[in-house]
Amino acid sequence: MAVEGMPLVQASVYVLVLLLTILAGMGTGYAARGRRGRGPGRALERLTLFTIVVLIFSLGFGIGSDGLLASLPAVGLNALGIALLSIALSVLFVAAVRKGARLE
Amino acid sequence: MIAYIAAALMAGIAAGYLNGSGAVRAAVTDYAFNAALLILVFVMGFAFGADRDAAAKVRKAGMKVLLVPLAVACGSVLAGAVGGLALGIDPIASAAASAGFGWYTLTGPLMAQAFGAGWGVFGFAVNFFREMITIIGVSALLRIDRYAPVAAGGATCMDTTLPVTVRYCGPEMLVVAFTSGFVLSLLAPLSIAALISLA
Repeated sequence: MAVEGMPLVQASVYVLVLLLTILAGMGTGYAARGRRGRGPGRALERLTLFTIVVLIFSLGFGIGSDGLLASLPAVGLNALGIALLSIALSVLFVAAVRKGARLE
Repeated sequence: MIAYIAAALMAGIAAGYLNGSGAVRAAVTDYAFNAALLILVFVMGFAFGADRDAAAKVRKAGMKVLLVPLAVACGSVLAGAVGGLALGIDPIASAAASAGFGWYTLTGPLMAQAFGAGWGVFGFAVNFFREMITIIGVSALLRIDRYAPVAAGGATCMDTTLPVTVRYCGPEMLVVAFTSGFVLSLLAPLSIAALISLA
């Protein structure tokens, strides 16, 4: 998510824009299904990797420039503990649900 | 790929720390970030739409996919409460921090408003760590369970961790990951507000 604090209205617009973008991508991909030829597979893979790197770099840039790292040591260990426990229980609950609901 | 991700994250943090002035910061964190995010989300959608097998798998799973974000929500809130008790901090505030499901830009301000600046930083940090652990640890998480990166990513599976998750788990995970992130993004403000009202 973007690095600045996000009011609720702005957050809703953000979610909507992402939803519309993914739907536009799905529609375009669906329309391209019938096309013959080599397809854009390799080029898309390269574009994806490059864009992931740009995205993660930007995310890091925001963290570094906001001075957010300086505030982390004050709450660091407790927050890390809660984050790890949240991940662990989420993974556990999802694994249980997958087993129960037979989700592939 | 994880090496590229870790290197990009470290380089970004270092560059931001050294050159975080107004214009450069806006260009990178606003324009580059949003452009990269939208391109990636579009490309992920394209790959899914073009893949006949992926759509068939999602149709087969049906509404059961919605159980994934609900399980993540229950696991996260319970972890916050139990962790708070174990660490000797307010379990309700700790559960509210976990109820951000990784969305740190929302959780930090909401918690600061309700509990004060200290808790705002705590809410931010819990969710910031969650996102970072998901990005850096995606391949390790995948060894635990195919859905583990989706569970770990929480609300961020709708945006920042979506490309990494789909890249590692395959295009058929796009709808599961995005749906999970989307539902959790809708749940996050509601569950944080609900927990704040209990405090």
